[in-house]
Amino acid sequence: MSRLHYLSLLLLVFTLINSCSDSKKYEAAMCVLADVSGTYADEKKNIAKISKSKILARMKAGDSLFFMRIDSNSYNEGDLIANLTLDYIPSNANKQKLAMAAELDKFAQAKTRARYTDISGAMLNCTDFLNDTESGNRLIIVFSDMKEELKPGISRSFTEDQFKDIHFIAMNVIKLDADSADPDVYRKKLKDWENRTLNSGALSFNVFNDEDKIPEYIEQLR
Amino acid sequence: MESLYFLPEMPALSIAIWVVGLGVFIFVARIPIHKALQGLSDGISTGFSKIADWAENAANKIKKRDEKVLLESGVASYKNKLVDEFGRVEISFSKNLADYPGLQRRLDDYISKLEGDYRECGQTIPKAPGWNDAVTSIAKLQGSAGDRVIEKMLGEIHRSAVDGEKRALNELRNTTSKRHKILSSMAPIWKRVNKLMKDVGEKIESVMETSERIDKYMTEFQKISRQNEESIDLLSSRANRMFIATSIVMFAAVAGAVVNFFIIQLPMSELVPSADRVLGMTVSSFSALIIILLEFVTGIFFWESVGFTHIIPQISLLPRGRRKYISYISIAFLLMLSCVEASLGFFRESMAESSQATVALLSGDAARIASEQIGQNWVVYGQAGLGFALPLILGLTMMALENFIETSQHAAAKLGVLLFSLFGNLCRMASHIVCMILKMAMDILLVSKTKRA
Repeated sequence: MSRLHYLSLLLLVFTLINSCSDSKKYEAAMCVLADVSGTYADEKKNIAKISKSKILARMKAGDSLFFMRIDSNSYNEGDLIANLTLDYIPSNANKQKLAMAAELDKFAQAKTRARYTDISGAMLNCTDFLNDTESGNRLIIVFSDMKEELKPGISRSFTEDQFKDIHFIAMNVIKLDADSADPDVYRKKLKDWENRTLNSGALSFNVFNDEDKIPEYIEQLR
Repeated sequence: MESLYFLPEMPALSIAIWVVGLGVFIFVARIPIHKALQGLSDGISTGFSKIADWAENAANKIKKRDEKVLLESGVASYKNKLVDEFGRVEISFSKNLADYPGLQRRLDDYISKLEGDYRECGQTIPKAPGWNDAVTSIAKLQGSAGDRVIEKMLGEIHRSAVDGEKRALNELRNTTSKRHKILSSMAPIWKRVNKLMKDVGEKIESVMETSERIDKYMTEFQKISRQNEESIDLLSSRANRMFIATSIVMFAAVAGAVVNFFIIQLPMSELVPSADRVLGMTVSSFSALIIILLEFVTGIFFWESVGFTHIIPQISLLPRGRRKYISYISIAFLLMLSCVEASLGFFRESMAESSQATVALLSGDAARIASEQIGQNWVVYGQAGLGFALPLILGLTMMALENFIETSQHAAAKLGVLLFSLFGNLCRMASHIVCMILKMAMDILLVSKTKRA
């Protein structure tokens, strides 16, 4: 074998070794925030159903999911209901999905109800978990009426790059009496959230009413 | 644009000033402009011509190189064919001629046995006792009638003659039956001789066929060796036909590889789970790809070892025994890969069913999956069958690889010639068009110059 052949072989091996990379950038980390305050507390079953069928069922190997509750003070680890990072072995991944589904069913059956709505705290909490995963695609899905009511004594603020590399979906934002009375109130509420998240570094803020759009959107992100 | 206006508040007047100014400028500077245009025209024309010449030269070089390669590869190919045929002749002759003395001896033995038998069964009719004439003479003697002594003697003679005839007849019957037995025992020997003669005929026929093939190859080899237009056309047309046929085979191979990849990719994720990626693929997908590549490689080794292709010269140079050894190993390896893929095919369906069931449970739609799983056995067998057959088919398609590589060089050269020629012609056309436009501009200037004169 000539020297040129050896060099070519070395170059090929080097390229192959160099091209071996971590698959984190192909994986998705998602965080579902479930509002359990006020009127939205009655939506728990629906949230669990959508989370199972449209998010959990479509997850791929290496993806992570955090399921958190929005209550009076959401910026604490206790509000994390369930979480998983899917195994690379498909049979193990199926078992993990079924175990997580059981946790979500438990959440749906529970009679938890909060007085205040700390959406910002839940978002901050979620961001910490998502950043820990180092996944390439990060998404926060908020199931809430998006009306924040903070408990007296609690303050929430976002830094400029708080939601860096994170996409947001406000899912199934039900209209409160005030929203129904004046659509501008509803629109302004959503616009405010969009501005707050985007100004804090979020990549996008979308409002979905159709649950079938979630899997499509996740596929687009990959 | 507005910055170019002399009077921004009056654009029309500004444009008019520009037009008049330019007109005056062109009129005053018409001679240098004419020269400049002439120079530009010459420059562009020469430039384009040079580019066109370069493209045509390149096309010619590629064409000549392709012709040279075609001729060399054609000669080499026919040489290989002739060497192969002579090899076959050598094997056939050494084998058949080695058998021939034995065959001849057997044939001689049979023939001498047949001759002996034939001689043995030669019919010799036993002679009747030779007394009849004597008896007739005695009976005709004068005075014999009524002589009791003679009558008695004649009676005795008659009796003994009848007995003699009976004995002779019995002896004849016995001899005839013996001969019949000998003749019937000759039949199998005749059959054996007949079979031997047929064998000899077949062997001679195969030798004749081989010599006819050699004749044909020699004729074509002579034609190609002349290295004229006719031989190049012959080789080019053969290469074109071969390229189309092998491209179809290669396309089928790639399509088969894709199907194979999708069959084994999912089960491989269970066998080789990893978070890493190689060349942007998951490790399981990369492993599936490697398995398919191994099938191709095994196929290449098999065809090399049986002497059908000559991609790796080192294998062709190995002794026949070693090549046979490599071919057995390749076949065994290919069969092993087929079995592995068949089992992965089985495994894939159970994994897919499990995933579907999980999704159905999560979506609360378990009843639908239960109904869909009726008759799924056929899918399992189908996937396993495909998993088994595809590696063998992929290995088989590699027999066309050598021809594909060779003929694709010719196809690429033809495409190159076409593209370069096209580019050259386009350059010439562009040169003409630009020159025409510039000539028109010069003519206009020339008219104005003439008018002034």
